[in-house]
Amino acid sequence: MIQKKICLLGASSVGKTSLVKQFVEGIFNEKYLTTIGVKVDKKLVEVNDQSVQLMLWDIEGNDQYNVFQERYLRGAAGYIIVVDHTRSSSLLEGIDIHTLARQVTSAPAILVINKSDLPKQWHWQDYELEQYKDILIINFQQVLKQVSK
Amino acid sequence: MQKSTSTEQVESQQQLEQLRTLILGEDHQLITHTVKQQARGVVSDVLTEALHDREKKDGSINKVIQPLVENAVEHSVNHHSDRLISSLYPLMGSLIRKSVAAFLADFMEKTNQLLENSLTIKGLKWRFSAWRAGVSFSQYIASQTFVYRVEHVFLIHHETGLLLNSVSLDNHDNSNADIISSMLSAINDFIGDSFSQSPEGMKQQLQTVTTDNFTLLLKPGPNAIIVAAVTGNPPQKVSEHLQITIEALHTLYANELIQFDGDNSTFDNADSLLRDCLLAEEKNIHPKSKKTPWFAWVAVIAILAFIAFRISVWHSLEQLKLQLSELEQQPGIIIQKINIINNDSVEINILRDPDAITVDNWLASKDLHFSQLILNERFYLSLDQKLLIIKAEKVVSQFPNVTSQWKNKVLTLSGTITPTAFKQLSSQLSRVGIVNNKNLDLTPLNIEISSNSNNSEQLNQKVFNGLIGKISTIQLNFPISSEEITPEMHNSLNQLYQQFIFLNQLADRLNVNIGLVIMGSSDNSGNIETNNLLSLKRAENTASALHALGLPKEKMFPTGLGQIDIKEVKNTSRKVMFNVIYVSK
Repeated sequence: MIQKKICLLGASSVGKTSLVKQFVEGIFNEKYLTTIGVKVDKKLVEVNDQSVQLMLWDIEGNDQYNVFQERYLRGAAGYIIVVDHTRSSSLLEGIDIHTLARQVTSAPAILVINKSDLPKQWHWQDYELEQYKDILIINFQQVLKQVSK
Repeated sequence: MQKSTSTEQVESQQQLEQLRTLILGEDHQLITHTVKQQARGVVSDVLTEALHDREKKDGSINKVIQPLVENAVEHSVNHHSDRLISSLYPLMGSLIRKSVAAFLADFMEKTNQLLENSLTIKGLKWRFSAWRAGVSFSQYIASQTFVYRVEHVFLIHHETGLLLNSVSLDNHDNSNADIISSMLSAINDFIGDSFSQSPEGMKQQLQTVTTDNFTLLLKPGPNAIIVAAVTGNPPQKVSEHLQITIEALHTLYANELIQFDGDNSTFDNADSLLRDCLLAEEKNIHPKSKKTPWFAWVAVIAILAFIAFRISVWHSLEQLKLQLSELEQQPGIIIQKINIINNDSVEINILRDPDAITVDNWLASKDLHFSQLILNERFYLSLDQKLLIIKAEKVVSQFPNVTSQWKNKVLTLSGTITPTAFKQLSSQLSRVGIVNNKNLDLTPLNIEISSNSNNSEQLNQKVFNGLIGKISTIQLNFPISSEEITPEMHNSLNQLYQQFIFLNQLADRLNVNIGLVIMGSSDNSGNIETNNLLSLKRAENTASALHALGLPKEKMFPTGLGQIDIKEVKNTSRKVMFNVIYVSK
């Protein structure tokens, strides 16, 4: 069986654990419990008629007290940076994390903007986002463009 | 990172090819061709020896060939089963027999063990301990039976933390094995990054994780980690075996480990190597030198002795009660309660006729002795025939001229007796329950009256007068508007009858005729007619009762007085009175 390690990164309380829970178990829990260290889950998906088991590494959120640790990224087949569109700072923090992650891995990454059910509370202009263009890989840029639209 | 490694390999191969071209020049093709032609012969010459030597050296041939043979056999079974069957056929019979015998032996052994473990005190104790520790019974048995046992072995890719292969003792598929692998890698990474590096510049690695129930042994290699979950106390040799295995795996799967891209099917054949790590060691259970449980035996014997003692006491008490209850068969004795205390003291509550045998005498006659005898005795008058005989004998023996004889439960007295003695005799007999005309016949008894002196005539006259006076004092009291003769009245009438018989004999001697006047009366309630009738009825009933005792009717004159109109008595004068009328002949 094919297995792939996927990491979830992002600022604290953007909803990484909730995303995994929703994806793996299909449930959402309103209770907030901060993740300590890392929590691993698995999900079997079909890609081109082939089963792939994703090992989802839900890594603790990063903030000013808890700096990004690249150790859990080792061997990842890809990573997801999660940001929260009710908090402008979460995007900046997400980009910081991405910059740090790029120093240790070249695995593909995507950006996920979470909490889309809540009203958007950030106000980014296109030119503001432009300055991040160079540091982002294609996927990331595309997503960003979509966000800025 | 993986990409760069594979690029390096390709580059090194290209460089090697260039080197060959440089050294061999134009002959390169020729030499290669010749070597290839010769290769078959060269290899076939040394193949067997080479295989033998290598197997001897590190045992790796076996590990490489095993999956090949398995695949070949599987292929053969799928595609050439007929051939396989015909080859194996001669062996099958004995194989099956052996297998069945082995199965039966194993089954018996297991059943025996199960029974032993389930039904013995040890088994129950283990069940209780397992319950208390919150583990399954089988797990607890394993912990008790084995010094250690490797339950699971995981092979984990170092870089990604992905599970490459895993085996377990009971072939149970652990669905969480891959999560465990990832978490272990995460923890291992955490340890490696968090603590200072070793003096050799190597990252710290997790070697052992211990929980309540098992120990995780980790043996890290450059590209993979082998992890064993062990119950009990794993000895050093398990670690050593894991180390050898991880090294062997690195040798066998060097490229696969480096180029691992998430597909773990490449490592399916690592099964046999991992399975070799499922080591176990049974506890060497020395049969304990069987100590005789003296205290327990003493306790058991004491309890048994006590029970036996209680039973024997109970039995002897029952016997004693049975013996004592025979006392009741004695005439004139009624047992109310027997209470036996401590087998040798007894408390008896009885009713006893004074003429019946005493309890002491009876016990002595039965040879029963008690250290303490509490006798609560109350007297009563028994009319038991046997006692009546004794009593009559006692009374009659006081009168030397009187003889007695029992016939059909009736005492007949004969002989001669003085009137005074007769009075005493009949009074004493009636006191013990021997009453004239009931169970006493006085007809043959001759009452002797001395008639030879004036004195005696005067005495007779005195007695005669006295008797008349006595008779006239007798009164029967009736309830309101009743004419029935009650048992109490019978006593008075019996007394009156005997006095009148005696009076009659005296009258003969004094030459006087006598008659008994019986007068009934009534109170003043109701009308006079009814009262007259009632008073007469009372008198007549009394006369009939006296006649039943033996008094001739012609000697009696019953009459009804009706109401007696005397101020003080008229309200309660429900009576029968007697008077003797006498006239000279």
